[in-house]
Amino acid sequence: MEIPTSAVNEEARRRAEDAAISALVDQYAGALYRVAYSVLRNPSDAEDAVQEAFLRVLRHRDTLTEVRNHRVWLIRIVWNIVLDRKRRAKTRPETDDVSELARVLPSTGLSAEELAAAAQHHARVLACVEQLPAKEREVLLLSAFEELTSVEIAAVLGITESSVRSRLFRARNLMAELINHERH
Amino acid sequence: MNSNPHNAMNSGSGPNSGPNSGDDTLRLIAGLPAPAGLEERVHKALRAAPRSGRILAWPAGFRAKTALESNWMRAAAAAAIVFVVVGGGWGVYSRVQPGPAGKVIVMPQRMPSSGGFSGAGAIRTPATIPGPKVTDQGTKGAREQGTQTAKKPAAPKKAATGQHPASAPTPQPAVSQQSATRPSSRP
Repeated sequence: MEIPTSAVNEEARRRAEDAAISALVDQYAGALYRVAYSVLRNPSDAEDAVQEAFLRVLRHRDTLTEVRNHRVWLIRIVWNIVLDRKRRAKTRPETDDVSELARVLPSTGLSAEELAAAAQHHARVLACVEQLPAKEREVLLLSAFEELTSVEIAAVLGITESSVRSRLFRARNLMAELINHERH
Repeated sequence: MNSNPHNAMNSGSGPNSGPNSGDDTLRLIAGLPAPAGLEERVHKALRAAPRSGRILAWPAGFRAKTALESNWMRAAAAAAIVFVVVGGGWGVYSRVQPGPAGKVIVMPQRMPSSGGFSGAGAIRTPATIPGPKVTDQGTKGAREQGTQTAKKPAAPKKAATGQHPASAPTPQPAVSQQSATRPSSRP
């Protein structure tokens, strides 16, 4: 029985694509999780978003060779997923953020009271972030990731680098006003 | 923590970059470690996902049998599809009955004209057909004579006696005297 050449090529190509996707999972799953968590602020939702992102990659694995920057491409995919999920989900109460932050924040050298106070402070900051306009909020959230440069943030959001910088400037000013208003 | 020099958060471009702008909170959240075993769970989800995106697929038992004959099967399926389409088209075409002939209205034949007007059958005759008339010298002299004889004679003087003009003697024309004294030009 002779095996056709096309079948061999197809099988080899499929194995190569599987190996490439596995490498992407090992390399970028953590970064994608952090991006998803910064928006959703729920571990299980963030993990679901990461899995959905890689399932989309699996569906479009034929275009893997055409992608130049896999990291930016993957972050853009998971960013669209989490924005879509956040749009559909109802507004989370602030108490959820406080309890979740108290659970995930590093507690080394902090007493229980200090940890609770820090969690409340971070929850207030996140509440202020939620009050920002969408464009400024997106830039501010993405700029917190050390892996992403301004050019890469611009590529993820589909805007220019100068727009990223101007939006970040406005976001910081608005955040300062909101936090000061919260204190007084 | 944030060590990327190209990151806008690190550039310090904003006047409020610091604790008041909430950067530390966002960096803290952005730096949270991923849960353990995340990659394994993603691998498992990918393995459980359907491999092919095809909507129609062969049954599992039939797929293994026809894997090596897929080219032949594809060609046969394509031929069958072409046969069905062409046969259906021919069936429709052969059943079409020619309809009754419609009324034909004969329109008057239009005159081929470029500008919209016709010449009404007129034939243009050039003015050069009769040809030029050439006059000789003899006829010219005679014509001059004719003009001189045709001169109006001088008006007769009224008689001072008061005679009726009808009873007065008829004056001789001066032209006749001149023609009598002038030699004739004709031989």
